[in-house]
Amino acid sequence: MLDSAMAALASLADPSLLLMLLIGVVAGLVMGLIPGLGGTGAVAILLPITFGMEPPQALALLIGALAVVHTSDTVSAVLLGAPGSASASVTMLDGYSMAKKGQAARALSLAFLSSMAGGIIGAVGLTLAIPLARPLVLSFASPELFMLTVLGVALAAVLSRGNIIKGVTAGLLGLLLGMVGTSPTTAEERFTFGSLFLGDGLSLVAVALGIFGLAEIASRASQRRGQQDNVTLGGGWFSGIREWLAHWTQVIRGALIGIWAGVLPGVGATAGTWLAYGQAVATAKDKRNFGKGDPRGIVGPESANNSVEAGDLIPTLLFGIPGGVPSAMLLGMLLTYGIQPGPSIISDHLDLMYLIVWSFAIASVLGALFCFLSVRGLAKLTKVPFAVLAAGLVAIMLLGAFQEGGQIGDLWVMLILGAFGWLLKSTGVPRAPFLIGFVLAIPLERYYFLTDSLYNGIEWMARPGVLVFLAILVLPILWSLYKWIRARRKVNADDGHRDEQPEDIESPLKNSAWSLGLAVLIVVVFGAALVTSGTFSPEARLVPQLVSITGLIISGILLSQEIADRLKTRHSKIGWTADTGFAFRTFTWMLGFLAITAVSGYMIGVLLFVPAFLLIVARARMKTTLIYSAVLYLFLLALPSLLPIELPQGLVSNFI
Amino acid sequence: MQPETAATEPAETPEPPKHSRRAVIAAVAGFGALAVATTVFGGSLLNPPATTEDGDYSGETLQFLIPLAEGGGTDTWARFIGTELTGVIPGHPGFAPVNEAGGEGITGSNHFASSARPDGTEVLVSTASTVVPWVLGRSVVNYSFEDLQPFVVNGTGGVIYARTGAGVSGLEDLTDRERPLKFGGISATGLDITTLVAFDLLGADIESTFGFEGRGPVNLALQRGEIDIDYQTTSAYESAVAGLEKDDQAVVLMSFGQLDENGNIVRDPNFPDVPTVAEAYEILHGSKPAGEKFEAYKTLLGLTYTYQKGLWVPEETPEKAVELLRTSSEKLGADPGFQAKAGKVLGGYPLVADEGLDERVEEAYTVSPAVRTYIVDLLKSKYDIEVE
Repeated sequence: MLDSAMAALASLADPSLLLMLLIGVVAGLVMGLIPGLGGTGAVAILLPITFGMEPPQALALLIGALAVVHTSDTVSAVLLGAPGSASASVTMLDGYSMAKKGQAARALSLAFLSSMAGGIIGAVGLTLAIPLARPLVLSFASPELFMLTVLGVALAAVLSRGNIIKGVTAGLLGLLLGMVGTSPTTAEERFTFGSLFLGDGLSLVAVALGIFGLAEIASRASQRRGQQDNVTLGGGWFSGIREWLAHWTQVIRGALIGIWAGVLPGVGATAGTWLAYGQAVATAKDKRNFGKGDPRGIVGPESANNSVEAGDLIPTLLFGIPGGVPSAMLLGMLLTYGIQPGPSIISDHLDLMYLIVWSFAIASVLGALFCFLSVRGLAKLTKVPFAVLAAGLVAIMLLGAFQEGGQIGDLWVMLILGAFGWLLKSTGVPRAPFLIGFVLAIPLERYYFLTDSLYNGIEWMARPGVLVFLAILVLPILWSLYKWIRARRKVNADDGHRDEQPEDIESPLKNSAWSLGLAVLIVVVFGAALVTSGTFSPEARLVPQLVSITGLIISGILLSQEIADRLKTRHSKIGWTADTGFAFRTFTWMLGFLAITAVSGYMIGVLLFVPAFLLIVARARMKTTLIYSAVLYLFLLALPSLLPIELPQGLVSNFI
Repeated sequence: MQPETAATEPAETPEPPKHSRRAVIAAVAGFGALAVATTVFGGSLLNPPATTEDGDYSGETLQFLIPLAEGGGTDTWARFIGTELTGVIPGHPGFAPVNEAGGEGITGSNHFASSARPDGTEVLVSTASTVVPWVLGRSVVNYSFEDLQPFVVNGTGGVIYARTGAGVSGLEDLTDRERPLKFGGISATGLDITTLVAFDLLGADIESTFGFEGRGPVNLALQRGEIDIDYQTTSAYESAVAGLEKDDQAVVLMSFGQLDENGNIVRDPNFPDVPTVAEAYEILHGSKPAGEKFEAYKTLLGLTYTYQKGLWVPEETPEKAVELLRTSSEKLGADPGFQAKAGKVLGGYPLVADEGLDERVEEAYTVSPAVRTYIVDLLKSKYDIEVE
């Protein structure tokens, strides 16, 4: 075994292999930077190049890209609040808050170092897991996978920071949204209103970019001036490394959770990263800073989202079951070389296995190094007025969201969820549980159904794995319930000061007519879902009804809280604020952009929207605007021939 | 909004001034004109009308519409064939695979049917998941394989195997059971349908659970003992079944078989020692299979296995272009270099692009009303699924 490992390492000294690895790393980093493309884009662009190569070169190229995509997708999440991929939205919670405090360089350094460590630990894990993978995968049957998804959804409560009712409501809404589409058990369509487009369910990229990215743009596009303070904290890289080292346990824990989530088929990168964040919050003594720039909130998830990719390679190679699109494409490439994935790959192609492991580790280091060296340059991006960035960002995010399914409908979904995300954010409803609910809805239902139909009664509850999960779930709930009751008593004592809580800065529309309206809206949505799900077949109806009923109860409590608040304060002091007006105008701009795109194509949409937005909203200088738009034009012109990217075509294109 | 930044912002940087209306209109109009020009002229400049009838595809781009996501079996197959095929077609056209995933393949296929240019440069990739809903006559399907022309098809095969731990050691353990065998499926209206019809034909004592994510997870569930019986296609046999068979954890019961030129079921060349579903019927019931169930099985076998994957062009495509594509595919399929390379991707089944292809495929893709009615009824009565 050691011989093969060393031989594989020695083969990487071959300049052509190293070159391929390097090209892969650069391609992966670039694709990670563009929101919405990520691993799928990186592998899709590299795959055609690999035809005709020898297997080692091809593997080095693809693994190089795969290993670093989740290193660079953090950049836009931390700097701009627009996650480069769905799993980067986790790092965003604390990373972006830190960046807004002028500590972008600190956040990025922590993230990159953790990505690197996650990649290395992932590669080591990949090596060690080879003999363990089979028992590990086989010990996770449907009941355990079901409990795992339940644990994920329970994170909603952990992540709700303060108001558990709001967190759980958001989580349930996410679950409901995730059920739009074809039912995993009976293949019947739910909540699709006869639309084939909705039949596939909503695109994760569109949902994540909308609920976080567009919402962020709407609430910050009013900033016509850049961040002037340049607090980079401490004296350079070494202090960054030192701070990061202080959190080494979080790094390792995050990486292990990542590998584990990657190994289990059906969990996925996004859910794995959330689990890592959830455990960081759940095990921390002092939780107050989470979501406001706590380094632990960056380190764990960032280390996890890289190791997920390594973990994902285990089922891909050993069972031929890929966990995501990039690893599925890798699998396809192996087949074209006549390499059959399966348990025998260890005996037949051990050298390639080790080549993968080493490539993964080296690529992680290289990728993090490149990013780390460019931290200072990247952090300067925060000096650019946000409104100026927003124009290009909207254009790129819409293009990114279009790539997954090639449907304009995804863009409308993204815009609608953008507005909804803004409403959630402004009224103090956490958006993280919403996304987790969305991601886990289908696995939760699938494994519940499988558990229920493959096991008699509740015998599955007695499985040792299930008991462990039950303990993990119930004990903290009891504990926090106890603490909540105690805290509640205290709050009651000085109830009058609630409005002065510091979180209100982040959510200016909390306890206003807006949040009351939102609560009413949510109750109506759950009610409508309950009525609609009555028309489904009994099997397809079960979980949506359960979610709707729970949702009605919880959102009913939320509504009564809001009403009580209204009655107490009588006249709301918050109505139509300047920021609200600005957000509405920004969404109107986006709406216009999308409408033009739908009618006459993306190119025309961009070239009307970007200069107009820059001049009228951002009030950028004429020279800046002209260069900005011209560069974007040339970029879009060249893009389809350089990358596997398609520009949305308008309705008119059918008549030309 | 943000007191942290607001507080540190020096008061001397004022809000930038507004631009004059004329300047804004001029700049936006300028870029707008540029964009309109690019959209109108760029398209026709970059895509001049195709000349595919001159026996030469030079300067053209062959576009494959893959109606499923990147990375799946069909995607891998299509990308591999496309890359190899464009190297054989005279003039060496470019290759552009386009994935339009959605509606389990229906969205992309509908789109192709409504808007593909019939000039021999646009090709639809078909597979079981787009064929089955068409067979069932689902209302969302707006394409018909009767309105398309195939120029190459490629089959696959598969085996049905069961867990020895569930008390199965041979075919006879399929019927008259105390406790039915649990079958794990993805969805009754997908590729699983062929297996379900086979079970119905054999009168096997099976209880089905659908909802698995893919065949890989079903295989794992069988190894955990959650389900008892499963099927895997030939390409997955090595990784999923061979090892279990060697360790006596599972026993291969039968293969789906293949349709020969005359439409009869013959043994699968990849499983020469395994009885086919038709032989299994004989072993269990002592007579040759016949009747509507058997007709339905044969139809589904052709559609979902023997002619599973195909490349199609619109019906109005010029004869010469289709012929060129077909003969190029035939040449590719016969090339020993290609055969060696293609072993694993094609799963051990040859590329079929001979002269009689059109006719045989047409026959295979003709589904009689009786067969359709039987399948729809089976889904409704046994699986409670209403085909809309």
